[in-house]
Amino acid sequence: MRTKRRKILSALLFSFLLTGFGLAQAQTIRVITTTPDLADITKQIGKELVDVESLTRGVEFMHAVPVKPSFVPKLNRANILAAMGLDLEISWLPALLEPASNPKIMPGQAGHIDCSTGVSVIDVPKSLDRAEGDVHPKGNPHYNLDPHNGKVMARNIADGLARNFPQHKAVFEKNLAAYVAELDKAIVRWQQMAAPLKGAKFVAYHSDWAYFAQRFGLQQVGSIEVKPGIEPTPNHLVALAQKMQQDKIPLIIYGPQSDRYPKQLAGQSGAAVVRLQSISGGAAETDSYVKFIEYNLKSLLSALKKS
Amino acid sequence: MGLSVFQTPLVVVFVVFAFLLFRSEPGLAQSLELESLRALVKGMEQQLQQALQRIDQLEKEKGAANSRVERVEQSVKAVQSAPSTLNPAIGMALDNVVEQRGKAGGDFDFRAAEIGISASIDPYARGYAIFNGSRDGFDVEEAAIVTTSLPWNLQARGGRFFADFGRLPKLHPHEYAFVNTPLSLERMVGGESKADGVELSYLFTTPFFLRGTIGGYNKLGAENERLDNNKTRSWSRFTYLGRLNSYFDLSDNHSIEAGTSLAYTPSLRMAGDPRGGRRALSGLDLTYRYQPLGSTLHQGVTVGAELFGNSERVERVSGVRRMFAAGGYAYAEMKLNREWSTGFLYDNAPSLISPGKKTNSYSPFVTWTLSEFNRLRLQYGYFDDQVREDKAERGHQVFLQWTTTLGAHSHGFANR
Repeated sequence: MRTKRRKILSALLFSFLLTGFGLAQAQTIRVITTTPDLADITKQIGKELVDVESLTRGVEFMHAVPVKPSFVPKLNRANILAAMGLDLEISWLPALLEPASNPKIMPGQAGHIDCSTGVSVIDVPKSLDRAEGDVHPKGNPHYNLDPHNGKVMARNIADGLARNFPQHKAVFEKNLAAYVAELDKAIVRWQQMAAPLKGAKFVAYHSDWAYFAQRFGLQQVGSIEVKPGIEPTPNHLVALAQKMQQDKIPLIIYGPQSDRYPKQLAGQSGAAVVRLQSISGGAAETDSYVKFIEYNLKSLLSALKKS
Repeated sequence: MGLSVFQTPLVVVFVVFAFLLFRSEPGLAQSLELESLRALVKGMEQQLQQALQRIDQLEKEKGAANSRVERVEQSVKAVQSAPSTLNPAIGMALDNVVEQRGKAGGDFDFRAAEIGISASIDPYARGYAIFNGSRDGFDVEEAAIVTTSLPWNLQARGGRFFADFGRLPKLHPHEYAFVNTPLSLERMVGGESKADGVELSYLFTTPFFLRGTIGGYNKLGAENERLDNNKTRSWSRFTYLGRLNSYFDLSDNHSIEAGTSLAYTPSLRMAGDPRGGRRALSGLDLTYRYQPLGSTLHQGVTVGAELFGNSERVERVSGVRRMFAAGGYAYAEMKLNREWSTGFLYDNAPSLISPGKKTNSYSPFVTWTLSEFNRLRLQYGYFDDQVREDKAERGHQVFLQWTTTLGAHSHGFANR
């Protein structure tokens, strides 16, 4: 009787261990990203192996994301944190990482993926002085707007996932190759689509669009902000409107800022105003990285036609 | 025959002429061709010369660029090897107020030149310090070590720091939404929750944010004169703290944060009171925020309130008695656009000795944020004072505050 009971117990224990092992095997990799762009790309590379969530929704101005304590438990439980880097998240992410008590996702650790690694950074300031506004010491951090950098982001994410979970490296590499091929195909289409934009001059609210302009041949000739992060003065707006009229600048681009000054400037200069997305996820038409680039291109083309 | 004789030289002349004509035609064409070829060669020579000159120029520019790159690389190496490379981030906040305090008169108040430094110590800890110079002197406001890699969601902090009591007591005054420290906070907590000691925080594994803190300190409160910070004491005369802090997103744009704190001192002996006795300072804080994600720069509302309760034996005319005093503040601030915001502060500050007597104040304020680092604030306050302890705490008051930040100056998670 005792032997029988022992056998039953052993069987139960064994099955329990097996179930536990199975559960451990089936556990997905928890990835937290700072932007929906990175979440989408991570999903493309990690597929069913990853459970991804972005801290931002895609509508935020990335330099003014609220420091929400609800982000803390998410960061605490993450296996991996993928961030844009180049100080894009400087105003909110470091403040959340300390209470998150998760040493493995701190900057420099294996679980922290800096997706800007390998990006050809532009607008690196010649001098660091706040008289020049809210300058980014490491250069312009809005590199995601150039789809070629989408490939760099994908490579960094694949490398980061493989660094932490080498047993799935082959899967990540295979998915990366497929995603890069998809991006390459889209890039050829976008270059053709963007032909009418070549040489088009524009005024931007903030310098979010430098990488986008460089890739598709647009030319920024002024900004609504006096300096990065500094709101315009009436004199600055008057001078800008005059310059726009003189040089026949057809476009004003703004992003997650108020439409007050862009519309005022459009009224004075006759240029078309277009609101673009600086990260994906802000609307149904931009719920993936590929759709987001396409949305921006289409919006610009349609604005240029109207101007 | 005569005609044929006559005709023969004519034919010859014609033939010779035709021969010459036809012969000279290709000769002319060839010379024209040669001319154009010469011109072409000359043009090509010129182009080649220009190209060679351009190559020379580019090579020179490349050489210059290479030497620039080398110089930059050298300077980067020099910076990397400089002893200052691992220096901490440093910043300074300047806070100045010009004020008119009722019948007490006016004043230029140099409130703070607050120098903050911060850096990682090693893979296990971070250190930071806040030194404050004001017209009252120079003081170490905070100088603490915070662990960064303790297991089980724990975080320890030790040294001098603003203890995890309430919400506003943890902030430096230049970070407030309004000009002055509310009188309720000054009287009941003693201003900022400055304390020498140690505390341990635990992040609960709940799906929402829930954090608990326990701490032990010499005393709590920057202006708390009940105990001498420089003397040794028995374990019953330290101050012990417990706090729970939680936060909920009501939606993407609306959130609510709540906290409850208790600072308990088992024995507070006063001169003339051999019995001594416990002091219990409790706090309840509630903050509602409206932060529309798409326009956090231009819109937003914060409503914050804190209620304090203090129970201790105090010396009155009739003798030493245990008194319970309750008070607090509530404020609302609304962002009008990226540069302007406005709000209102209500403060209810009891006297700790005669809790029935209170100072109620009503203070509208308006803030002009020129940039993230430069801010002007105008505040009016009406103080209805029944406590009558200080002339400067009654009547009509006007403040104009100018706050600026230089360099890297951040107070991290607490300042949200």
